[in-house]
Amino acid sequence: MASKTQASRAMTGKAVTRAPRDTAHEGFLNHKRGRWAKVAITLSVVALGAYLLTDPVPRHNGGTWLGYLLGSIGAGMIVWLSLLGVRKRVIGSKPFSLKGWTSAHVYLGLSLIVVGTLHTGFQLGWNVHTLAWALMMIVILSGLWGISLYATLPERLSANRGEVTQLQMLEAIRTLDRQLDIAAQPLDADDAALVRMSLEDCRIAGSLGQRLSGNYANDGNARALAIIIEKVMTGRRTGRVDDRLEQIEFLLERKEAALAQARRHIRMKTQLELWLYVHVPVTIALLAALLAHIISVFLYW
Amino acid sequence: MSFIVRQVAKRADGGDIIRTRTLVQAELTVGRGTDCDIQLADLAVMLRHARLVQITAGKVSVETTGGVPVEVGGKFVTRADLAVAENPTIDIGPFRLSLSPGEDGAVAITAERVVPPIEAADAAHETSIFSLSGAMPTKRRMAWIGGLAVLVLLLLVPLFHFIGEGEPALPQTMVAEAARPVTPGQGFGDGKLSVPTARPAAAGGFAPDESWSSGTLSDAHASLSNNCSACHQKAFVSVTDGACQACHTASALPDHAAPARMAKGRLPDGGVMGAAHSAFNLPQGRCTSCHKEHEGAATVMTVAESFCTDCHGGLKSRLADTAVANVPGWAKHPDFRATLVSSPSADKPVFTRTALAGAREKSGLIYPHDIHQSTTNAVANMAQKQRLPQGADGALPCSYCHKADSDQVRFKPIDMEANCGACHDLAFARDGGTVRTLPHGKPAQVAGIIRDFTLSESFAPRAGVQRLSFDRHLPGKAPPPLPGGNPAARAQAAVVSVFTGKGLCTECHVVTDTGAADLTRRFAIAPVSINDHYLPQGQFPHGKHKSYDAKTGQAACVACHTGVTKSKVSTDVNIPGVANCRECHGAPAKTLLSTTAKAGASCDTCHGFHDGVAPTGALPAGHVQPARVAGRQAAGRSRQTPA
Repeated sequence: MASKTQASRAMTGKAVTRAPRDTAHEGFLNHKRGRWAKVAITLSVVALGAYLLTDPVPRHNGGTWLGYLLGSIGAGMIVWLSLLGVRKRVIGSKPFSLKGWTSAHVYLGLSLIVVGTLHTGFQLGWNVHTLAWALMMIVILSGLWGISLYATLPERLSANRGEVTQLQMLEAIRTLDRQLDIAAQPLDADDAALVRMSLEDCRIAGSLGQRLSGNYANDGNARALAIIIEKVMTGRRTGRVDDRLEQIEFLLERKEAALAQARRHIRMKTQLELWLYVHVPVTIALLAALLAHIISVFLYW
Repeated sequence: MSFIVRQVAKRADGGDIIRTRTLVQAELTVGRGTDCDIQLADLAVMLRHARLVQITAGKVSVETTGGVPVEVGGKFVTRADLAVAENPTIDIGPFRLSLSPGEDGAVAITAERVVPPIEAADAAHETSIFSLSGAMPTKRRMAWIGGLAVLVLLLLVPLFHFIGEGEPALPQTMVAEAARPVTPGQGFGDGKLSVPTARPAAAGGFAPDESWSSGTLSDAHASLSNNCSACHQKAFVSVTDGACQACHTASALPDHAAPARMAKGRLPDGGVMGAAHSAFNLPQGRCTSCHKEHEGAATVMTVAESFCTDCHGGLKSRLADTAVANVPGWAKHPDFRATLVSSPSADKPVFTRTALAGAREKSGLIYPHDIHQSTTNAVANMAQKQRLPQGADGALPCSYCHKADSDQVRFKPIDMEANCGACHDLAFARDGGTVRTLPHGKPAQVAGIIRDFTLSESFAPRAGVQRLSFDRHLPGKAPPPLPGGNPAARAQAAVVSVFTGKGLCTECHVVTDTGAADLTRRFAIAPVSINDHYLPQGQFPHGKHKSYDAKTGQAACVACHTGVTKSKVSTDVNIPGVANCRECHGAPAKTLLSTTAKAGASCDTCHGFHDGVAPTGALPAGHVQPARVAGRQAAGRSRQTPA
C-alpha cells in the first residue's frame, strides 16, 4: 500500500540515495572555505579587543570614538545586509555570486551581534536606540534560526514527500473526496452528514497554530472518521455490517493518511518560511529604527 | 400529464452537457437516490428529497418527503403550489430546478447545479495551502506596518515635538541651586564632588522626544528629563557651554585658568580624532568634553584622572612659564612644595613655595611645640592647674589651639587671647580685687600703662596694690624690686623689664630696642604671620582624617605631623609629604577579596577644577585669594595678622 510505503520511508529519513556528483556541492556556509567566516571572526575579535583595551570615561557607549566607529560600521553592515533582498532579485550579476553574497550575509550578519552590541556599550534602556539594537538582534537571531532549519529540514521534507509533488498530494486528497462523494450517495442523511463533514469541514492547512503544531484533531475528516469507526464497530458487534459504511471508513482512513502526509509537508514548509516572516519585516522596521536612531542622536547631539 | 426533464452537468473544460428526458407521469420524485426521477448527486440532498405533482395544467405542487425543506422564491417551505407560467424555481441543496411551460402542456424542468461542488483540495489553492501566505498577512504588509509605526512614533512625533517647542522653561529651584557658589572644601575627600542624591521628578509628564534619550539623566538634572531642548537647543549642534552656563554661571563655576593659557597648555587634539573633532565642530575644553550626561543617576560629575593628566602630565613643555609642576599621575605626583611665610608682616606678609625637605618658615613667632606637648613639664603642670583640656596622654591636646573651622577642612586662625591667654595672661599687678592686665598686640599702650602705673605708685602708693611676677616657672613669687632712683627712671626701668625681661613679650616675640626717646615707641615687636594653609592648591579636609592607622585624637595628628612633639623652634615645618598620603590613597586595601584602594586617589580627591584662576609666577604677598578670580574660599583663607 502506497501510504505504508511512504510511512516506512519517513521512518528511515532517507527518501532516495543521493546520486553521485562530479563535484562536491559547496553550500553558502562553506563558500570559498569559509572566507567570510574568517572575515567575520576577525572583525569580531578586533572589535572586542578594541572594546576591552580602551577605557572611556565614564563608560563605554555609542558616543566614544570607538562607539562612533562601531556604530558607523554596524549601520553600514545593516544596510548592506538588507540589500540581499535586492541582490537576489538581480539574476546573474557579476562579479559576486549570489552564493558568495549569501555567505557574507550570514557571517557578517552574525558578527553584527558583536559590533552592534559593543556599540551600545551595554547601555540599554527604553528608547529608540535600544529598540534599534533589539530589532537588530531579533533579525539576526531569526536568521540564525532560519539557517539551522535549512540545515535539517529540507532532508526531512524530501523524505516525507517521497516522489510526490505538492499538486499530487492535493490531487490524491481530491480524488479521495470524489470517491467519498460517490460512495456516500446511497447513505441516509445522518451518515451523509458525516461524509459532508469530511468534505466540507476539512482544511488541509488551517491556521498558523495548526500548521506549526500539526494538531488537526478537530478537523472535519478526523471527527467524521472517529464517528464512522464507532458506527462500523457497533455494526460489527451487532452482526449487521454495513458495507457502505465500511467503504466510507476505508476512504476516510486513506484521506486521513493523505492529509497527514500533506500536513507534515506543510508543517516543515511553515517552519522554513516562518523565520522569514520575522526576518524580513523586522529588517524593514530595523531600518526605520536605525534611521530614527541616527537622526535623533545627531539632532540631540 | 408529462414532464420534460433537462439535467445540466458541467464539463471539465467549462462546457455544459444537457441530458433531456420526457417522463409521462403526473408525479416526479427528486432526490439523491438512484431510483429518483430527478437524481441530484450531492450529499446535501436527501435520498428522497421532494415530490413534484402536476395538479392541473400549468400548476405544480412541490412537497418535501425527506423532512428537509426546499427553497421556493427565497423561502424555505415544505410544500408549495407553483404556477408554471410564472417560471418558478425550486432550490434543493446546491441544485436549482427551473420550471417552465413545455410543449403540449408538459412541464419543463431544468435541473442545474448553481453552487459549485466543494473542491477542498483545489489546485488553484496550492500556494495558500502550502505556503504561509494562506495563514499570515504578507511579509510586505507587515514590513510596511512595522516600518511606518517606528518612523511615525519614534521619529516624526518626537521631531514635531522638538520643532513645535518654544523656549525651554528651566526649573527655578535648579537654576538657583546651580548659581550658588560651591563652598570651599565641599565634597572634597572622597574622590567625588557631592551631587544631589534626591531625584526630583520632571514636571509636565512624558514628552515624545524622551524616547530619544540615550540613557538616564543624572540626579542633578533629573527634573529636565522631559525638557530635552533645555540643553539640546539647536538641531544637529552638540550641547554648547552656553546651555550649561544658563544655570551654572561663571561666578559660581569660574574658569580653571585664563582661557588663553588653557588653550596653550592643552594637549593638542591631533590625528584622526582631531580631524573628526574639528570636522564636526567639537572643540576641546567644552563643558561636555569632561562632563557626560545620560550616563546614569550619579555620573555627570565623573571625570577621569586622565582628563587632568592629559594637560598636567606635560604642561611645562607647552606652557614654559607655568608655576605648576608636571604631574603624570598620582604615583608620580611630585612632592608637595609648601607655601611658607618667608617674610612676616602686619599687613603684607610674603609667602614662598618651597620644597619640603629642609624647609624653614619665618613666622616671626617664638613657639616651641615640644614643651607645650610635654606630659610632665611646667606647661603640663600649669595646664592641669588651669583645668585646661587634657589629651589621652595627659598633655595639652593639639585641638586646644588648632580648632577646626566650620567646614572641618582646616583650622580657625590662632588667637592669642583664646589659645594662649589662659597661661600667658599678661597680668602685671593685683589692684585690690582687680587683676590688671596688659592689652595684647598694642606695644605702645603696654609701655604707657606700665609707665603710668609705675609713676603713680611712686608718687601716691596705695595699699593693696601688688606687682606680679611674669616668670611662669615660679608662680606666686614676688617680682624683683624695681631699681631705685627718680620716679621717671623707675618707670623707664619697669617698661624695659616688661619688654625685655623673661616671661612676657620675649616669651613669644622678638623685641627690638630702637633706643627711641619716646618710651612708648622704643620697643618694636617683630611682625608675626601665622600660616593657615600650607598647601593652598589642594584641599586636605582634616575632619575626614580624624583617625589614621587606627589612631585617633592627638595620636592621629602626630601620626602625620610626626616631628611636632620634638619641634623646638617655630621655623620647623611639620607638613607631611605626598608619600604619607600614598599610605592610604591609592594603596590597595588589605582585605582578602577586595582589591579596591583604601582611599580614593583621583585628582579631584584633593584638587578642584573650577576653583578659579590660580596665580602664576612668583607668589605675591597675600597671594591666595585676591588673585583668584571669583573670590571663592576667601573666608577660609584670611591672614593672621601679628599679635
